[in-house]
Amino acid sequence: MDEAPVRIVNVHKRFGSLVVLDGVSFDIPRGQTTAIIGPSGTGKSVMLKHIVGLIRPDQGEVCVFGTDMARAPEREVYAVRRRLGMLFQDGALFDSLSTGDNIAFPLKQHHPDLTARQRRERVDEVLEMVELPGLYDRPTPALSGGQRKRVGLARAIVTRPELVLFDEPNSGLDPMTSDAIDALIGHLKETLHVTFVVITHDIVGTINVADHIAMLYQGKLVAWGPRDDVVRSEHEIVRRFLGRNLVLPEPGTAGHARLPSM
Amino acid sequence: MSALAWLGGLAYFTLHWARVAVRCRPPPGQTFAEAYKIGVQSLPVLLTISAFVGSNLALQGYNAFAPLGGQRLVGMFVALAGVRELAPLIAAAMIAAKAGTEMASQIAVMRTREQIDALEVMAVNPFWWLVTPRLYGILLVMPALTLIAVFTTLLAAYCASVFQLGLSGATFLEFVTQSTEMRDLATGEVKALVFATIICFVSCYCGFYSEKGPEGVGKATNQAVVVSCVACVTFNYLVSQVLYG
Amino acid sequence: MLDTLAALGRFGRFAARVTWRILTPPWNAEDFHRHAWTVAIRCVGPVLAVTFPFGMVIALQGLSIFDLFGAQRLLPSLISVAILREISPVMASVLVAAQAGSAYAAELGAMRIKEELDATEVMAVDSLRWHVAPRVAALAFACPILNTLGDIGGLAGGFVMSVWIQGENAGVFMANLWTFTHVGDLLGGIVKTATFGLIIGMVACYHGFHATGGAAGVGKGVNDTVVRATLCFFAANYLLTSAFFSA
Repeated sequence: MDEAPVRIVNVHKRFGSLVVLDGVSFDIPRGQTTAIIGPSGTGKSVMLKHIVGLIRPDQGEVCVFGTDMARAPEREVYAVRRRLGMLFQDGALFDSLSTGDNIAFPLKQHHPDLTARQRRERVDEVLEMVELPGLYDRPTPALSGGQRKRVGLARAIVTRPELVLFDEPNSGLDPMTSDAIDALIGHLKETLHVTFVVITHDIVGTINVADHIAMLYQGKLVAWGPRDDVVRSEHEIVRRFLGRNLVLPEPGTAGHARLPSM
Repeated sequence: MSALAWLGGLAYFTLHWARVAVRCRPPPGQTFAEAYKIGVQSLPVLLTISAFVGSNLALQGYNAFAPLGGQRLVGMFVALAGVRELAPLIAAAMIAAKAGTEMASQIAVMRTREQIDALEVMAVNPFWWLVTPRLYGILLVMPALTLIAVFTTLLAAYCASVFQLGLSGATFLEFVTQSTEMRDLATGEVKALVFATIICFVSCYCGFYSEKGPEGVGKATNQAVVVSCVACVTFNYLVSQVLYG
Repeated sequence: MLDTLAALGRFGRFAARVTWRILTPPWNAEDFHRHAWTVAIRCVGPVLAVTFPFGMVIALQGLSIFDLFGAQRLLPSLISVAILREISPVMASVLVAAQAGSAYAAELGAMRIKEELDATEVMAVDSLRWHVAPRVAALAFACPILNTLGDIGGLAGGFVMSVWIQGENAGVFMANLWTFTHVGDLLGGIVKTATFGLIIGMVACYHGFHATGGAAGVGKGVNDTVVRATLCFFAANYLLTSAFFSA
């Protein structure tokens, strides 16, 4: 078994007197989808920012592809970041660039050997993958919330990264768009075979896409394991968060979890 | 064309406020709170800048008159350039940068968070609530701030002349008192009131009609200080032309 | 007090890191051109709108001095000394701080809030090199150009006031314009404004880059930028004037 792409070892983080992460450890397995869930304000986004090296832990370490993101020199951190992609909450698109130029941005930076035409082809290809063909020249402020997320996603996968991180892919979307994004993530998971980390508080969506679930609550990891184990866990907080009425798929089948029909 | 529309909007805004203001008394208590805030917040910046302006003015005056053998004229140069023109103008520019931008960004944030809409829904006239205390507040403190700027400029110029350039302090003071009159200070005060009005209306207007979101707030703040500065310099010329021309 | 020192230290570190990225390749030349051009276009109107009336006021006040001595001949040289050495560099920089500096603080602040800067870093692009360095360099480059235009505007204002309004002789005005000024004054102004541009760029980008707290935070950053940048370059102005002109 090869080494886990992301290893989180006893991470502590506090902002002033507020303890956000209080000794969290787990390894994210390669080639699978891991969901980090938990109520708002339990440090999910902070966890994610530790993984990409935007925040340094007060104690403990976060290793991505074997590199300690907090202590490695900047050059190595950048080398790691070239191998990952991230979808930000609101897409974090550059308003000064068009949709296509946004997606082409990492390609232009890291693959200067590509010709403009090859870049264009690659961008059109990922636009196709996120089901937004033909939007290359659309200015980003004109995109809807769902479109922004898809474009952000396209930008995250355009360099063919080995690890893709999603910060709240469903937040601020209506249920239909949200389902479409979940379906898209599920589809990409099957076609790209890369490691996905999804941060969310959208339970149903999570359970459908995740292979493993980590649950954070008040800065601690209260549950961690394969999806079916966590979903069936009798842990008090997990049960409260998931809700008692969730209809679960049969173990070992590809069935979908859903809320009870009205 | 859009500049004309903008000016029209500003005029409309001002008239709209005036119509409300003659009917209602200002929101109680807030005027003095604003005056205190504007005055106290701007004071350190104002003192520092005036000090640099004054000392620089002495250096430049010395250099300009030295070839003529007129080093003694530094006092007169400082008095005329500093007291009549630069001190009131620099005071206005700094108040625009400090208090004006604050007004613009506060009001723009209220616009972003839909608080201005909330005021209207709660049947509070936003012109009255937002503009009136700020205007009366800045009108209260601006003349005093200008006076402080004038004297700081003179003091700094005196220090630079005596300690840095080694000129005679007594001669400096003699030339200063010879070439300034009460009329110059009074003119400075008139300018202060004009500048205060310009800064307040321009800044509030920029904030009030800002676009929503962080960019909108930034843009409103930016616009407020640039337009205030340009308008103050232009009106400075007009006032000087009328009173000294 | 300690907080202030810590903030100054952070600013110093930021400035050093940006300076390193301005001096070493790779450069983001495309953004540099775009920013420099935008600054020049956006500031030229305000700069002229300020220096022109300023030239008129200097002429107005200068006449009232020189009338006392019957030395109206000296007026044009006073105008050129004041405009070239002091008024145009300072006023151009005040407006660059107000217009471009605050715009940079707002732009970078909005990019910080909307996680665009984080996104840049996550894509393994150095955000200081990519977003900040070209802006700072553009300001240091555009400021002297605006200053030179401001010189022309101020002198034109002085000319209009003296010759057209007060009825001095145009030939005498032009003949005496350069009595006390020389190329050194123009170059001094250029060196000064390049320094001011650098200071404004650093202060503005620092505030934008480290913005926190949503829209209100961006507004506060913009506000602080104008005030602190102006303070810094007035201080620098005094030091540079002492260095150049006082012996």
